[in-house]
Amino acid sequence: MKLNVDVTPRTDVPRWMRYGTPVFTILAALAVSAVALVALGVSPVEAYYVMFVQTLTTNFGLTNTVAKAVPLIFAGLAVYLPLKAQLWNIGAEGQLFLGAIAGTWIGLNVSLPMVALLPLMFVGGALAGAAWIAVPAWLRAKLGINEIITTLLFVFVATEIKNYLVRGPLQAPTANFPQSAQLPAAAQLPDIPVVGYPVGIVLAVVLVAVTYLLVNYTRLGYEITFIGANDTAAEHAGMSKFKIYMIVLMAGGAMAGVAGVSELSGVQGRLRASFEPGYGFTAIPIALLGRNGAFQVMLAALFFAVIFVGGSSIQTLLGVPSAIVDIMQALIILFLITSEFFKQYSIDLGIERAPDPGAPGQPEGEV
Amino acid sequence: MSNDEFVQLKDITKTFPGVVANDDVSMSLRRGEIHGLLGENGAGKSTLMKILYGLYSADEGEIWLDGERLDMESPQDAIDAGIGMVHQHFKLIPRLSVSENIVLGMREPAAAFRADRDDDRGVLSALTGNSVVRGLASRFTLGLDEPQAEIQQLADDYGFDLDVTTPVWELGVGERQRVEILKALYRDVDLLILDEPTAVLTPTQAQRLCDTLRKLTDEGLTVIIITHKLDEITDVTDRVTVLRDGQDVGTVETSEHTSDDFARMMVGRDVLFQLEKEGVATGDAVLDVSDLRADGDRGIEAVSGVDLTIDSGEIVGLAGVSGNGQKELAEALVGVRETTDGTIAVTGEDVTNAPPRSFIDNGVSFVPEDRHEDGCAGTLSIMHNAVMKAYTDTEFSDGLKLDYEAMEAYAETLVEAFDVRGINDVRDINAGELSGGNLQKLILAREMLREPDLLVANQPTRGVDVGAIEFIRERLLEQRRAGTGILLLSEDLDELFDLSDRILVIYEGEFVYETTPEAATRRRIGLEMNGGQGAEQSAKVAADGGQSDAR
Repeated sequence: MKLNVDVTPRTDVPRWMRYGTPVFTILAALAVSAVALVALGVSPVEAYYVMFVQTLTTNFGLTNTVAKAVPLIFAGLAVYLPLKAQLWNIGAEGQLFLGAIAGTWIGLNVSLPMVALLPLMFVGGALAGAAWIAVPAWLRAKLGINEIITTLLFVFVATEIKNYLVRGPLQAPTANFPQSAQLPAAAQLPDIPVVGYPVGIVLAVVLVAVTYLLVNYTRLGYEITFIGANDTAAEHAGMSKFKIYMIVLMAGGAMAGVAGVSELSGVQGRLRASFEPGYGFTAIPIALLGRNGAFQVMLAALFFAVIFVGGSSIQTLLGVPSAIVDIMQALIILFLITSEFFKQYSIDLGIERAPDPGAPGQPEGEV
Repeated sequence: MSNDEFVQLKDITKTFPGVVANDDVSMSLRRGEIHGLLGENGAGKSTLMKILYGLYSADEGEIWLDGERLDMESPQDAIDAGIGMVHQHFKLIPRLSVSENIVLGMREPAAAFRADRDDDRGVLSALTGNSVVRGLASRFTLGLDEPQAEIQQLADDYGFDLDVTTPVWELGVGERQRVEILKALYRDVDLLILDEPTAVLTPTQAQRLCDTLRKLTDEGLTVIIITHKLDEITDVTDRVTVLRDGQDVGTVETSEHTSDDFARMMVGRDVLFQLEKEGVATGDAVLDVSDLRADGDRGIEAVSGVDLTIDSGEIVGLAGVSGNGQKELAEALVGVRETTDGTIAVTGEDVTNAPPRSFIDNGVSFVPEDRHEDGCAGTLSIMHNAVMKAYTDTEFSDGLKLDYEAMEAYAETLVEAFDVRGINDVRDINAGELSGGNLQKLILAREMLREPDLLVANQPTRGVDVGAIEFIRERLLEQRRAGTGILLLSEDLDELFDLSDRILVIYEGEFVYETTPEAATRRRIGLEMNGGQGAEQSAKVAADGGQSDAR
């Protein structure tokens, strides 16, 4: 008996595969995570029931999911948009810190009514995030220096700036903790009346729609897509790589900054030294799962919000360490990478029995 | 050459989802012949040969070699049966030497562990003779001394002019191809398949390959060359099998047919190689270049002071051996390569070092040499690629939004006007899925239907099949009639002679010779392409102490 494995490059990725990949990836990650759950002595069925069904059917779970999803959507877009031009914004976390810092400073130092203060905080946060990525963006656009490395390194710088500020200029004068003062009520995102969801979700949905329109219907979106597909040909077509690279990276930085403000003003209420939500890094698998479009990014962000909230639930209810969520996140990335292989190559498996040398062409089973 | 059938392919049928690649194809080879396998892109040549080499298995049909039926599951079976193949893209490891590349996959263990050692020296030999030790040795030691000598001998026998200890990365394309052939010979093949062997070679290298192949067949080897170039067929083959749309049109003796016959068999209709080129009144200069200089990708000057004027309605042909600055010149003329000195004016407007967009807006079109790398975005749709240069026009864009309906309609116009095949939905099919000829037609349609003032076309017919070549040449002449000034860069001298009004020769970044097709001789152009009067001139330079260089 002989196992035949045929690996042939595909000329075209089938449509079902392009759109099915995220779903398969998630299912595969959940299946493998089940092994870890069994090892912990927890029934995966029960754990996933708590994680998904309970989270999505209780009011508490839904509200929390939406609250988690808001910064994840912004951060996901912050990675998604540059990815359209084949640029990797790995440092959304750093831009998010800068957004949070700018938001905190404005919230604490500007006294305006809420309707003016909150927009000002978001604009400030967006500008700060864009400014933070401006240097890596310029290095990439002008000199071709790899943005994966520079944006990532800028995260460490941003972390230390934040750590310094909450122990220095931004530290609450009355306390000894490394944290800022509590934001005034006018600087805190309210909930939507009646439904009770955080108001940030509205802004998130609007930004998703804007990004969708930008990519699919505008001239800029065409240029971004084209540069992402073949930057040399794009230059031959008269598109400015410099301009597009600057625009997508700075827009990404701005959205990460908005993510920082929304988390700070909607959830945290004050800037702490321990503020390291990791959304900027989770944004990478979100953007990869949702790389087919802005709405898919939103769905991916919602999925991650569910497993974050559900992860806390199974920790409290079933005693499963919430590190299981990290495992799932890592598995999703692994399976995404694997799926790239299957998208590029088609695999044929065949089991063949060795033909009897006496009678070639008439395969017979072993006796 | 004997007349007995050495290899026979009988009624081979192979289908891929949606396509019949080979439909009941039969072909037979005689020992010691060079057999051409001719067909347009997508006619099923490569599929047939991959079946013969064990890479694909046929759905139906049989392969017989020397009276025995072959049942192959992998290339290894083909190699064991004495069939070797040289692929279009070489499969060599640059870091390894020629001989290391050749013994890959069939190396010998180091001398001390070899089974055929017959000297007997007690303990040591008992150890090295032990089957376990031998098993390990055959996996973990490499004895290169004997194979190396053998390979060098083989190379010398066939006049390959190779030092087999040289690392492959130091070798040029022609030499690498010889390594691939050597690799097959070392495996003792009787039948050698070459997939478009001259696609990567210069004319001189190609000539050399033909000589090599003759030598091989004199020794009793049988050779198949897959090609769509007619001159290659008439130059080197003994017999030809022609495929069209997956079916075999027949096998014929080369000597009894002309290239016109082959073209007809291949395309299925008459192909006019005689183009109608009537006189066209030339107009004002569309391109005026003076003392242009530009650097190549490695920062070394590639274009060294070029003066060039092209009038409206004129085709200027540029001949030169690849790598003498043509690519850089073409790119500088369309604004995608920065110039270091000199000026470029298009229809009277100075556009020196302006961004590519200014060139496009001034009516410059460009057909790049590398259509996948520079000419299209392979992963985007036909529509995206069709409007690549026109998307800023008011027809499609108000500055913010794009009109996708209009873009789609425009793409359909291009596809129709240039008869681009294999497209049913311009938004669904990606440019990368088109065959070479069809992609080239799409690019030409995009560049020509803009009604440019200047068209720079770099190797517009390279790698496309005969039918498309004819079409493309006709369109170039049509464009000339419409008053476009055209700079045609081509390595195909016939093309330059047929189409050009003037022919320039570039050598080491400078124009060294100008002529007209009527006054020119191939010999003279060939000489100029290689740096002037060759030996004569260098002797003269040496005689006056190189003073002619110190201008």
